[in-house]
Amino acid sequence: MSRLQPSRVIALAASMGLLAACGGGTPAPSGGGLGTGPLLVGVVAPFTGVDAALGPAYYAACLAAAPSINSNGGVGGRQVSCQQFDTRGEPADAVPAATSMIASNSNLMAVVGCTSDEASAVVRIINNAKIPMFCMTGQTEFNKPSPVLPYFHRLVPADIFDAYAMVGYALYGPGHAPYKNAALVFGNDIGSQAFVAPATNAFTKLGGKIAINQPITLGAADYRTEVTAMLATKPDVIFTEALGSAGTYLGEVKTLNGGTMIPFIGTSATIDPQWFAQVSGAVGVDTLVKNYGGVDLGYTFSGPAYTEFITNLNAAASTFADAPKYKQRGSTLHLYDGVIMTALAMTATNSADPTVYNAKIKEIANGVSGATVVTTYKDGVAALKAGKSIRFVGAGGENNFDQYNNSQSGYILVNYDAQGNEVKVGELTPAQTVTISTAGGI
Amino acid sequence: MTNAQVYYATNLLVYAGVDIIACLALNLQFGLSGIVNFSFIVFQAVGAYTAAVLSMPPDSANGAFQTYIGGLQLPFPIPWIGGAIAGGLLAIPVGLVVLRRLRPDYQAIALLVLSVIANTVITNAVPLLNGAAGIALVPPPLSDQFDPNTINYQYFFVGLTAVGVVLAALVASRIVNSPYGRSLRAMREHEVAATAIGKNPVQLKMTVFIVGGLIAGLSGAILVGFIQVWAPSVWLYPETIILFAAIIVGGRGNNIGAILGALLVPVGFEEVTRLLVKLNIGPPGLIPALEWVAIGLLIIGFLWFRPDGVRPEARRVFEGAPIPEDLDRA
Amino acid sequence: MNLFVAAFGFGLVSMSVIAIAAVGFTMQFGITNMINLAYGEVMISSVYVAFYLNRAGISIWLGMVAGALFGAVFSFLLNRIVYAPFQRKGTSYIGMVIVSLAVSLMMANLLLPIVGAFNSSYQNTGGSLVRIGNITLTTNQIAIIGLAVVVMLLIHGLLTYTKLGKAMRATAANPTLARNCGIPTQRVVDVVWLITGALCGLAGVVAALNSDSFAVASGAGFLIPIIAAAVLGGAGQPYGAMIGAVIIGLVTELSAAAWSPNYKEVVAFGILVVVMVLRPQGLLAKRGAMAAAG
Repeated sequence: MSRLQPSRVIALAASMGLLAACGGGTPAPSGGGLGTGPLLVGVVAPFTGVDAALGPAYYAACLAAAPSINSNGGVGGRQVSCQQFDTRGEPADAVPAATSMIASNSNLMAVVGCTSDEASAVVRIINNAKIPMFCMTGQTEFNKPSPVLPYFHRLVPADIFDAYAMVGYALYGPGHAPYKNAALVFGNDIGSQAFVAPATNAFTKLGGKIAINQPITLGAADYRTEVTAMLATKPDVIFTEALGSAGTYLGEVKTLNGGTMIPFIGTSATIDPQWFAQVSGAVGVDTLVKNYGGVDLGYTFSGPAYTEFITNLNAAASTFADAPKYKQRGSTLHLYDGVIMTALAMTATNSADPTVYNAKIKEIANGVSGATVVTTYKDGVAALKAGKSIRFVGAGGENNFDQYNNSQSGYILVNYDAQGNEVKVGELTPAQTVTISTAGGI
Repeated sequence: MTNAQVYYATNLLVYAGVDIIACLALNLQFGLSGIVNFSFIVFQAVGAYTAAVLSMPPDSANGAFQTYIGGLQLPFPIPWIGGAIAGGLLAIPVGLVVLRRLRPDYQAIALLVLSVIANTVITNAVPLLNGAAGIALVPPPLSDQFDPNTINYQYFFVGLTAVGVVLAALVASRIVNSPYGRSLRAMREHEVAATAIGKNPVQLKMTVFIVGGLIAGLSGAILVGFIQVWAPSVWLYPETIILFAAIIVGGRGNNIGAILGALLVPVGFEEVTRLLVKLNIGPPGLIPALEWVAIGLLIIGFLWFRPDGVRPEARRVFEGAPIPEDLDRA
Repeated sequence: MNLFVAAFGFGLVSMSVIAIAAVGFTMQFGITNMINLAYGEVMISSVYVAFYLNRAGISIWLGMVAGALFGAVFSFLLNRIVYAPFQRKGTSYIGMVIVSLAVSLMMANLLLPIVGAFNSSYQNTGGSLVRIGNITLTTNQIAIIGLAVVVMLLIHGLLTYTKLGKAMRATAANPTLARNCGIPTQRVVDVVWLITGALCGLAGVVAALNSDSFAVASGAGFLIPIIAAAVLGGAGQPYGAMIGAVIIGLVTELSAAAWSPNYKEVVAFGILVVVMVLRPQGLLAKRGAMAAAG
C-alpha cells in the first residue's frame, strides 16, 4: 500500500527540526597572522543561461589578478586561486550557489561578480557571511542601502551615473551641436531598466526632448517595426545599450534610414570587444567609428598597473583562451583591482579574518592623507613593509568609496577607433557633471 | 558544524521542502489526473508574487527603486495563505480553457506557451511587478519580530517549511487515498468506463487541478519568503521541465514517488553537479553547461530504462475482491 | 498608416522564414506523430555550421546549402538513434515531448561551450534597399522571399507529382496499410527526416541571415512561431503550415505596428493557444495529404 502515513511525514519534519540540535559557534580564523594554505576568490556570476557571457569576463579578472599576487610572494606566502560559481542568471539558483560556496570553502578571501541578475538575492547572504565582495550590479537598490552593507563594494558606478554621462555626451560632447531629440532604446531586461528614468529626467530638464522611449526585447530576430516607429519620430540621437541585440537594431536603423546612420551614444557597457564586433559587423566599421559616442570611466589603459594586468591576462589564455579579449573591459579591470586590494588589505592588517581586513579595503582604495600611491601588488607590499600607508591605484584607475562603498569617479567621453580600441575624445567638467546630476535628481 | 555549513544545510532543506511541495502538487495534476501542466511554474510564480506584494511595504519604500502593485504589508501567515489562494484561483481559468478533449502533447504545448506568454507580459508591464528586475527586499515571515539574519531564524524557517510540507502531504494523501482518488485513477485508466458509471471527468479533473494550484502557490510563497527576491528569470519554462523530470524519475501517481523525485532531481542532482565545478576543467561555463546536459541525459535515461520511475505506482487491489474465475472453464 | 504598410512588408519576410521552417516541422509531425521540440536547436546548430564556413570566406548562400545538409543528416540521425527507438518502445505522446525537450536542452548546452555565449553575425552586406511605395526591403530579404516561394513549389511538386511524395502521404495517413501495399515505410520515414531536416537547416540559416545577429539562445526563440504556424494550419499538413506561416508572419508584424512591439511574440503565442483550444485540428482539417492529429 502506498498510503502516505502522516506519522512518516512528521518523522521527516522532525528530522528537519533535529538540525536545531546541531549548531556551533563560528570558529573564526585567529586574528593575528595570515594563516596557511591556498586562498580562494569566488566568481559568483552567470556562466550559463541568457547572460552566460558575463561570468567569463569576471573569471578572467581573477585569472589575471592571481599571478600578480602569487608571483610576488602571495598573501603571506598563500597562493590565490579562482573558482566559478554559476548562478545560472537567476536568484533562486544563485542562493544555493552562494551558500554552498561559503559552506565548502573556509578560505574564501573575496567574492567578485554578483550581477543584477542575482545581486538582490546573494549580496545579503555574502554580507552576512562577512566576506568582502565586489559587485557588478548597477541597480539603484544598492545606491543607498539601509542598513549599510559593510562587505558590499561596488567599483563601477550605478547605472544612473552612466545615464547622466550619456546626457552629458549629448549636450556637451565634441564634434556636434547639442542634440535636441533623443530616442531611448534600451532592453527590457534587468540591466537596462535603470537608465531610462535618469536619462529622461536629466535630458528634458536641460532642454532636450525624448522623441521616443522604446524598450526592446533582447534577442529578438528582428526589430524592423520598432526601428520604423523610431525613425518616424525623427530623433537626432539614439541612447542605447541593448547588449546582444545592438547589432541587429542598429543595422536595421542604417538600412531603413536609407543607408544614413543616426548618431548613437552607448553606456559604458558598450565598451566591449563583442559589442564592437557585433555592431561593426552590422553597420560597418566606418559607420560605427563616425557615429558612435560612448561614456566610460577614465581608464588610461596604460601605466604599470595596466601593463601588469595585460601581461597576466594574456598569460591566462593558456587556461582560458578568450581571456585576452577582455583587455579593455571596465568590469574586468575593476575586479582585477578589487582582488589585489583585498590581498593588500590582508597584508596590511596581517590578518586572514575578513572582519579585520574588510574595512582596510576601503582605506586602501580611497587612501588616507599622506598615503603612498602604489600601482602594483609588489609595490604595495614593499610600502607596507616599510611602514607606510598606501593608496592603490590599479588598472581601473582611482577609486573613491562613499559611505555606502560605492565608488564614484569621473566619466570621460570616448569613441572607437577602427580596430575597436577606445579613444578618449573629451571629458565632462565637474560643473557639467553637477548640472546634469542635479537635473536628473539623484 | 560551522555556521556556513548550517546556512547551506538549511538552504538545502528549505529548497527540498519547496520542491517536495511543488512535486506533490504536480503529481496531483499530472500523475493523478493526467493533466500535462507545462505551465506549472506559473502557479508557483503567482503564489510567490502574491505573497510578496501582500507582505511588502508600498513601492515608495526603500528609495522607491521598484514599482509594483499591492504593498499591503500584511503579517504572516496571510501572505502565504494569499499565495496559495492565488495559485488556486489561477487554476480556474487555465483549467477551463485546457480541460477539453485535447491530446496530451497538445495540452502540454498550449500550457507551455501560456507560461511563456505570462513571462513576457510580466517582463514588459513594468508598473505591475517591476518587470525584468522583479521584486526585491521581500520581508521574510515574522521578520519584524525576529532578525532574519541569524542562525536561529534559519531553523525557524526550516520549521515553517516543514509545516508546509506536512500540510501539502496530508492534503495530497487524502486525495490520493480517498474515493475521490479512486475515481481519478479510474478516469485516467479508462475514461469511457468511468464516465459510464456516472463520474464526471471534467469536474473531477478541475477540482484536482485547483487543489494542485493551491499547493503550488504555497510553494511559491515559501520560496519567496526565503530568497526574498522574485523575478521573471526565476520562472522560465525550463523550471517546469525539471519538475516533470522529478515526477518521471520518482514515479508518477504516488506521493512517495513525488517526494523521491523532488529529492533526487531538483535538489540532489542539481546540487551534486554544482560540486563538479571543483574540477575546474576547460573554459569557464563548460561544467555548468555540462550540468544541463547531464540533466537531459538523466531524463532520457529514466524514460528509457525505468519509465515508471524509482518508485512506481502501486497496483491497488481490493481485499475481498472476488477471486478471478478461470474463464476458459465453461 | 505608413507604419502598417511597412509592417506588411516586414511580414512578408517573416512569413517566408517561418514557412520554410514550419513546413519541415509539420511534415515531421505528420510522418512520426510527434512534436519535435528539438527543431529549434537543430536550426541554430545549422546556423553555426554556416557561420564557420562564412568566417572562412565562403558566401552565405553556399553556407545555406551546408546548413541544409547538416540539418538533414543530423535530423535523420536524431530520429534513428533517439526518437524511433522510444516510439517503438511505446512511449506515450507526452513522453516523446519530454524526450525531445531533453534533447533540445542537451543540444543547446553542448553547443554553448563550443561556440560561446555571445552574439555573432554573418559577413554579408545585407544588400541595398528597395522601396516599393512604403514598403522598404533589402535585396537579401527579397531573395529570402523568393527562396521561400521556390521551396514551397518544390514541396508541392514533391508531394503531388512524385512517387516518393505519394509514398509519404500514404505512410502518414496509414503506415500499416502502406506497408502492406509494399511501400518501404522505414525508408520513407528516413527520407522524410532527411528532407525536413534539410528544411530545418535551411530555415535556420535564413532566419539568422534575416536577423543580422544571433546566439545559441536564439534557437529556442525560433520554435514557438513555427509551432504556431504548423498547428494553426493543421499539424501534419504542409499546405496548412504554409497558410499558417502567412497568417502568423503578417499578424505578428502588424500587431507590432499597432501595439507595442515587445508583445509581438505574445500575439503569435496567443493565436497558437486559441487555435489549440478551439480548433486543435487546425484550419485544413481534411484527411489525406498528411493526416491531421485528430
